Formats: sequence, C-alpha cells, structure tokens
Amino acid sequence: MRNRLTPITLGTMLVALYLFLFAPVIYLVYASFARDTVWPFPWHFTVAGYVDLAGARAYQQALWNSVVLASAAAFLAMALSAMGSIAVLKYRHRWRGAFAIIIVSPMFVAELLIGISTLIFNRKVLGLPGNMGSAIVANAVHGMAFGFLIMLAQLVRYDWRLDDAAQVFGAGPYRTFWYVTLPNIWPAMLGAFVLSFLLAFNNLEISFYNLGAIPTLPSLAWGSLRYGLKPELFALAALVNGVVFAAFAVIYALMRTGLVRFGYRGI
Amino acid sequence: MLRRAETRFLLLGLPGVAFTVLFLLMPIVSVLIFSFWRTESYEIYADWNLDNYRAVLTNPTYLTFLGRSAYTALIVTLLCLLYAWPVAYFVAKYGGRYRLLLVLGLAAPFFTGAVLRLAALQAIMGPIGFINMVVTWFGLEPIGFIMYTKFATGIGLAYLYLPFMVTAIYLSLLNFNFQLLNVAKVNGARPWRAFWAVTWPLNWIGTVIGVVLVFIPCMAESLTPRFLGGPDGALFGTVLGQQFGETGTWAQGSAMGVLLFVVCFAVIVGMALTINPRRAGFTGAGR
Repeated sequence: MRNRLTPITLGTMLVALYLFLFAPVIYLVYASFARDTVWPFPWHFTVAGYVDLAGARAYQQALWNSVVLASAAAFLAMALSAMGSIAVLKYRHRWRGAFAIIIVSPMFVAELLIGISTLIFNRKVLGLPGNMGSAIVANAVHGMAFGFLIMLAQLVRYDWRLDDAAQVFGAGPYRTFWYVTLPNIWPAMLGAFVLSFLLAFNNLEISFYNLGAIPTLPSLAWGSLRYGLKPELFALAALVNGVVFAAFAVIYALMRTGLVRFGYRGI
Repeated sequence: MLRRAETRFLLLGLPGVAFTVLFLLMPIVSVLIFSFWRTESYEIYADWNLDNYRAVLTNPTYLTFLGRSAYTALIVTLLCLLYAWPVAYFVAKYGGRYRLLLVLGLAAPFFTGAVLRLAALQAIMGPIGFINMVVTWFGLEPIGFIMYTKFATGIGLAYLYLPFMVTAIYLSLLNFNFQLLNVAKVNGARPWRAFWAVTWPLNWIGTVIGVVLVFIPCMAESLTPRFLGGPDGALFGTVLGQQFGETGTWAQGSAMGVLLFVVCFAVIVGMALTINPRRAGFTGAGR
C-alpha cells in the first residue's frame, strides 16, 4: 500500500507543477485567438493577430534574429562543452579540476551581470557598438557552462575504454570519435544544444545589453510593454509553442516506437 | 604516449577555458575597474575613487533593496528545494524511458520569453485576472495578496527558476544507484531513514548546484518585480539595471554589480564548503 501511495503523491506533484508552468503558456495561446488580448473574457474568436503577424516585418525580423542568435550560440556552446567534458573526463591531467571549475563558472554568474559586464567591456574597452557577434558570444559562454554540466552528468557513466579498444584495433583518433564516441554521446550533446538554444532564444538580460538596436523576440516584447503587448506578439508566441509541441510529439512517437532511446539503457 | 595524452587534453580543454577567460573574466575585471572610476553626464572618467562604494553602502535605499533581494531569494530557494526534490525523485525513479521527455517538458515553457510569461501570469493572478474572476463567480471576495505584492514576486520567481532546481537534482539522481535503498531496507532502515541516510547525502552536490542556480538569478532579478511586485516591490537588480539605462551612471552601476557578485560568490563558496567529497559519494568524474 505504502509503495503505491508514494509514486501517486509524487506524480501528482509533478502534474501540478506542469499545470503551474504551462498555465501562462496556455493563457497566451488562448488570448492569441481572442479579439481583446488584454481582457479575453468572454472569448471572441478571431485570427486577426495571426493575419497581422503575416504582414508584420518587424516581428519576422525579430524572430529571425532570435533564431540566428540562439542557433549560433547553442552550436558554439555545444562544441565547447563537449570538448571540455571529454578533456576533463577522459584524461587524468593534473589541471582537470581547475579546467572543470573554469568552464562551469559562467553558470554561477547572474545573467544581469554577464549582460552589464560584456556591455562595459565591448563598449568602453573594445569600443564596439551593439552587435550580433558580441551577443552570440556572451550567450554562448552562458550556455557552455550549462551544456558542460549536462555533458558531465551524462558522460560520467561512459566507458572510455571503448575508445581505447577502437584504437587497439587500429582506428585513428578521428575514426574513433566518429564511430565510437559520437554514437554514444550524441544524446548528451543534443541535450547541451537544446538547453543552450533555449537559454539564448529567450534571453533578455544578456542580449539586451549586447545587441544595441537589433531586435529579438524578447527585446521586442520588452520594448512594446510601454504601449501594451500587441496581439501579433501573442500569435507569434503561440506559433512558437505549436512548433515546440509538435517537436515533443515527434520525440514521443520516436521513443514510443523504440526508434530513439536517448541514452536510456533500461528495459 | 603520455605526452600525446597531455596534448589532447589541452587541445580539448583549452578552448573552453580561453573562451571563459576572454568573454567572461575580462568583462568582469573591467566592471571591477570601472567601479572605482567616475561617471559624469553619461561619460566615464578614469580617476580612481571609492565614492561609488560609499554611495551604495551608506545609502539606506540601496541596502534595503539588497536586503530585500537576499531575503526574497532565500525564501524562494527554500520553497523550490522543498518542491523540486519530490518531483525530481519521481521522474528519476518512475519516469522509465520517458524520463528525458518529462524533464524536457519542464523546460518547454522556456520557449516563451520571460516577459510574455510574466505578463500572462499577471493576467491570471491580477486583481481582475482569471483566478479572481473565478473566485467572484462563487460570490467570494477577490483575493488581493496574490498580485502586486512581494508574495506575487515570490510566485513569479519560483515559476521562472523551479525547473532549474528540478533539473539539477534530476541529473544527480540519474547517476544515483537506487539499489542502495534496497540495501538500506535489508539492513532494517525505514523509508525515511533510508532517504536521510543514503539518498539525501549522496545527492547533496546536485542539490547544492540547484540551490545556487535558483538563488543567484533570484538575487539578481530585475524583471519579475516590475510585473508582479507592485509599487514598493523593486529589487536590487531593478535598480542596478537602471544605472545602465535611464540614469547612465555606469561607474555606480559597476560598483553595485561588484557588490552583487561578492554576495553571490559568498553564497557559492558557503554552499560549496558544505560538500564533503567522501560523504557525497563523489567518485570523481573519472574511473
């Protein structure tokens, strides 16, 4: 009896957390179809927000900027964190502890501090105006630390003797990585990429101080607060969530059919 | 052979280290330097002085904001810790092959920007929001304390950062051998005893990371109080951000940034000192 009750209680807590986390998202999707986004009760269905969005260049540009920024930052973060985690886990070098602490340290610096310090550094020390490159790099530093932690947590169990075995059989370092290491660690790398993408895609505090006048989705939302959030913004958020939901459905289907296991080795 | 291993270690590890030093350490050092300089009409001048720190540390307004930020961050972190543990435990132990999907589900709201989600939270919890609409349907008085109060800021912060805590604890539990609990049981420990003596200490590192990951952004938060905090709910981060926007007093802002960094660093060091490597079951990130 006790053994049944525990998972049920804990599961209920998980479901309640999902409800709490998704309530605002559901509200946004609901309001995006309402005639009045500020007070959408009772509901008057309309797709006006979506129609306006199709013709609004500013929003499309902001979405594109956000995607470019997040993809570039996430790719950098993934590559650096994968290399760092392999270095720290595979080689018993005397500096491995120090390297690990340095690479993980950006995670413990508040985003606001990363934002203002890179602003000061770029503007006053390097004399750069707000630009995309600085924002990508600043977000990548942040994402790298999170990616590194994810990679460490997943790769602790990886048996590096597999690599040695491949080399004994005559594979060079690149072949070993491509055929032995990568097939084993790609779920962890994907996790690092997805997490850094997420962090960068919606980052306001780091990007805001680095981008200057270049708009992204979060800075557009921030800027339009003064005049009230526009229905187009609700529609865009709803569309992004639609894509995310579809991606989750695909992942679920792939796992359900057993095509992809994402590193799960149990039954 | 040994030399080759060393070369590979450096080839793989140095890029990440160099990246951090160049794009995080150098900016922070420049903040430290600028905090001793002086700003005048939006320009910064290099005459060394301690006025910025004197202004921050003697002005009761700034200290109030700092204290309020620390207090809020502490409460929110404790609440998140209490709620995140059972959830992470459930996902790690009973999630089966869908564990990853369940954790990704907690991250999915992050695809919507914090500004929009906080605005939606405002619309749900506000004085004329969804919750109060339902409350008034039942003929009850609208609930006032859930909006434009410090309580509301707390809810908003927990909303934004709870997933970080769950993920950190989950990642730790992922590498935890649940069969140890059976050993404890065989040796006569009741479930709670087994939890306190085995599960909790062996996952302390993950818990510490989660605590720090929630505390620091809460400490530096500037966005949430603007939406939910009401007229007297401003936090330290809000005021800090203003130094770089509205008022343009960068040197003063730098000093506040350094102060924030020092507080966060002290918390990190304090939490790290509670880790006993032997008791935490940390076998090292190696063989």
